[in-house]
Amino acid sequence: MSEIASNKALESAKKDQGIKGHMSESREKLSLFLNNRLGMFGLMLVVLFFVSAIFAPYFATHDPFLMNIPQRMSGPTLEHWAGTDQLGRDTYSRVIYGGRVALKVAAIGVSISLFVGLLLGMLAGYGPRWLDNFLLLIFDSIRSFPTIVLALAAVALLGPSLELVLAVVIVTSIPGYARLARTSTLALKNTEFILAERSLGAHPAIIMWRHIMPNVIGPLLILAAMDVPVVVTIEAGLSFLGLGVLPPTASWGTILNEGYLVIRDTPWPIIAGGIPLVLTTLGFTFLGEALRDVFDPRLRKGK
Amino acid sequence: MSINGLSRRALLQSIAFGSALSVASSIPGISFSASGGKLTVRFNRDMDSLDPGYYVGGHPDNDVNWCCMPALVHYDYVDGMAVWAKSPFVDRVEVVSPTRIEFKLKSGLMWSNGYGELTSEDVAFSYDRMAQSEWKGDYVAYDRTEIADKYSGALILKQAFAPFMTQTLSSGTGVIISKKATEAVGGKFTNDVPATCGPYVMEWKQGQYVRMTRNPEWTGTKPQYDEIYCPIVTEDSAAALAYEAGELDVAQISSDTYARYLKQVPADSKLTVAGALQYMWLGMNIDNPKMKDIRVRQAIQHAVDVSAINQGAYSGTAELSSGIVCPGLVGKRNQTGYSYDPAKAKALLDEAGVSGLSLTLRTLNNQERILASTIIQANLAAIGIAVEIMPLDSGPFWEMGQESKGDTWKDMEIWLMRYGSGPDPYGAFQWFVRDQVGIWNWERWSSDEFEKLYVELVAVSEAEERHKIAIRMQEIMEETGAYVFLTHEPEVFVHRDNISPRFAPSGETMLSYFKA
Repeated sequence: MSEIASNKALESAKKDQGIKGHMSESREKLSLFLNNRLGMFGLMLVVLFFVSAIFAPYFATHDPFLMNIPQRMSGPTLEHWAGTDQLGRDTYSRVIYGGRVALKVAAIGVSISLFVGLLLGMLAGYGPRWLDNFLLLIFDSIRSFPTIVLALAAVALLGPSLELVLAVVIVTSIPGYARLARTSTLALKNTEFILAERSLGAHPAIIMWRHIMPNVIGPLLILAAMDVPVVVTIEAGLSFLGLGVLPPTASWGTILNEGYLVIRDTPWPIIAGGIPLVLTTLGFTFLGEALRDVFDPRLRKGK
Repeated sequence: MSINGLSRRALLQSIAFGSALSVASSIPGISFSASGGKLTVRFNRDMDSLDPGYYVGGHPDNDVNWCCMPALVHYDYVDGMAVWAKSPFVDRVEVVSPTRIEFKLKSGLMWSNGYGELTSEDVAFSYDRMAQSEWKGDYVAYDRTEIADKYSGALILKQAFAPFMTQTLSSGTGVIISKKATEAVGGKFTNDVPATCGPYVMEWKQGQYVRMTRNPEWTGTKPQYDEIYCPIVTEDSAAALAYEAGELDVAQISSDTYARYLKQVPADSKLTVAGALQYMWLGMNIDNPKMKDIRVRQAIQHAVDVSAINQGAYSGTAELSSGIVCPGLVGKRNQTGYSYDPAKAKALLDEAGVSGLSLTLRTLNNQERILASTIIQANLAAIGIAVEIMPLDSGPFWEMGQESKGDTWKDMEIWLMRYGSGPDPYGAFQWFVRDQVGIWNWERWSSDEFEKLYVELVAVSEAEERHKIAIRMQEIMEETGAYVFLTHEPEVFVHRDNISPRFAPSGETMLSYFKA
């Protein structure tokens, strides 16, 4: 009995040490993140982006679609903080609502790409060789298309729309996640704990779900954070080219496009549309890099 | 970290570069100046087809054809009035009677690609073919060409037709093509013209430029410029910037730029309003199930604020339209039978029992049309009609209503359209006769009275009578409910002040007549 009690005490002590170790590690990471000034600045910008987009009706001063043609292309005033566009719509309010389009594309696009990429990557890494080769062929074929060219082709066939932008973003982003997931899965595939599961007769789906996915998802989440600015920029770029959202929807890209067309008359739409795009891109980039620094110990040691 | 094999920075740079390139690609990479025998002129879109029987017409197809293809007459101006004048391809053109026009071609004018000399047989072939073509409306009075000899002949009309010289022969559809060359390619062509004959020969790079250089075989009057380089600059703002940077000598400008230049013209430059023979309208397909009820169409007529469109999309530079006959022409209407009245529009919709209607508005994808569409979208939203704007490039746009080009016409509901006219009201009406349903009459209506009046308009030469006929014909169009008449846009060009340009009344450039 005393031996059993002694063992239990030992296990309990180990468990406590593990939890404390884990907590200590978490605290260390949090501390690292909090001490990363660019990361904190990025987090602040990202929070601002999310809050302004989600609560756009509270931040906007006007209906973003309300036209006031006699006041078209006016400069900043107390009533119109960033002036008005060609149809007299309030540019500031359109910029705020434009954030919703960026958020929608980023959130939906990155989430679906991440999920599908993770699934296909694990299948490629854990499945039979022929499936791996087949999926790699698909990934590389998609990667060989520049995003803009693919978007141009898709728009020529289907016409411009936000859904099409999303589809292009998703299709072109999946291979990046899938490649990363596949590499991590291949590294895990022959580890002892996976071999043990297989020898016990565990179903491959269970192994992938319970043992592989938790180990590969971390790097994918960091990649996702760093992908958001890319996706936001792609949406803005496509909308700038007239291949994205349709009028009268406000998006940063369409605001830039409309502003560019009247830049000789008023610079304010270009300025107002450009600033949030720059800040959001910077915010997510700084945040992503800070997360990478925190979660990738090799990088930390390298510093 | 990389995405799709590119670093993030590289990808962002690629996107930025791609965006910039898309704009910059429409700006000429090489600049020419008006001096030294070179002229650089903006083309605001690519050519669709140079076959006068089966083309869209207007700019830039006519601009090119007038440099590289023969015609009996060209436009000239006397005291600011557009008139016809014999072209450099003829020794003589004479209207000897209201139904007989005699001509004598110059000898020794050679077709390219070894297709021999320009002859009266080519004239007969061209106009007989036009009378059967998609542009047969221009040739409604044409009967035949009598060939007298290799160079001489006479055009015979079925009846007197006042605008035959100024509308039919002087416009782009008066171009002559080579009989042998056209037959050799199967009877039709697009931009690969089988044989040209004119002061210039053409080199075309799709989507990039048209370059016209002197035709070494041309024996007629030499034009001013050795070379005319026409970069395709689709973006109006890019064109204005390119002009101001000295990359262009002549550029068609948008209404926003026109409004700005009216305040201050760029240095050493002039503005020329080439004409306002454009008529723009909101069209409705009366065969579409959503548009069948005339009360719905009338509701839309009352819902659209045309003044707002002129101010918002055209900076107030266009003239408001009350019909399809353009300013300065016989038959111009001064008022529509409907007015902007959202309450009445809503009442008409209620009367028709229509609610929750959603429509697709198709438009060319350019700045002014998108702005106009956005205003219409807001106007219709105010009476409970949801509008989705579908911007289209010129290719699919100009094909969408043609039955021969697919089934899109069945899905068409409302669209923004603009046609150009000649200096006679007849030119505008020809597209709305019964024969044109499914070709250029995309609204798909027809009327016996309209057909009868159309025949009368062709036959009558007395101005007051023609005015009455044209007015009534526009009333009939309006009564179908299928039209909201919008604007007559001016065709405005900015050019170096040492250039003396010539334009067709419908706004195309007549580049071989440009002088320095």
